[in-house]
Amino acid sequence: MATTSNPFLQADGKKPTCMEMLQSILDGDATSDQKDYFKQHMDHCMPCYKEYNLDMAIKELLKAKCCGGSCPEDLVSQIKSKINSSAT
Amino acid sequence: MEFEDAPRQHYSEKEKQEVFDGEFMPHIHSMYNFGYRLTLDRDDAKDLVQDTYLKAFRFIESFQKGTNAKAWLFRILKNSFINDYRKKSKEPSKVDYQEIETYYNSEEVDRQITPDLRVESLKDMIGDEISNALNSLDVDFRTVIILCDLEGFKYEEMAKILDIPIGTVRSRLHRARNLLKEKLKSYAQSMGYNKA
Ligand SMILES: [Zn+2]
Repeated sequence: MATTSNPFLQADGKKPTCMEMLQSILDGDATSDQKDYFKQHMDHCMPCYKEYNLDMAIKELLKAKCCGGSCPEDLVSQIKSKINSSAT
Repeated sequence: MEFEDAPRQHYSEKEKQEVFDGEFMPHIHSMYNFGYRLTLDRDDAKDLVQDTYLKAFRFIESFQKGTNAKAWLFRILKNSFINDYRKKSKEPSKVDYQEIETYYNSEEVDRQITPDLRVESLKDMIGDEISNALNSLDVDFRTVIILCDLEGFKYEEMAKILDIPIGTVRSRLHRARNLLKEKLKSYAQSMGYNKA
């Protein structure tokens, strides 16, 4: 196990749990140092490896399926006309 | 309606139109999707988005040109949803946040509670399963997933949009992800996966 300093270490020296590291990555809060560190961590932590792959797959699926495409065509024109009629 | 402690801006009519068209309107599709995911109704979503844009125009001088328009708009929409829409509907807030904090802080849940949902079974969810699973979550949990995973907002932005501390954003996201996984797991089971 390489002993590069842990970029997840908090100011008070508290060591983050696997779950905390994983959540930072998932939530898009991790720095690139932290991402690199976590990649190495996954080489010897099977639970993290599995959970990471599952969570990322869900995130991808959400993006692919729930982003809804476009708003109704008339919505933009309705907003514009309301604003123009309210402006003096 | 102010987002940051930005001083009140002074815009000419022309500038107002420029900010509105150039900085607000480009987010209309994301805004509509947010509105739809909150109300789960396409007509209500339209009303909510229209209402949000009219408010944004009315309060445009509390918005500082070139700052985070998307977060500002999302915040107005979220507030309109709570104040105008949610009041009308009978859906009560079912979430006990005290419970969540306790849940989040207890050590034994450090390992996930859903180890048997597998990536392979997700690959077969090519229909509406994920969308239905998301929609079935309580609105407060749904919201953080939308903001983080669909829209890519950061903790700080989410905290401002939702008027909650960053720690609460984190714990709510954590809980929301687990609830979503539970839903997906039961879909996977009902579809006959995860058996082998
Ligand atoms: Zn680990």
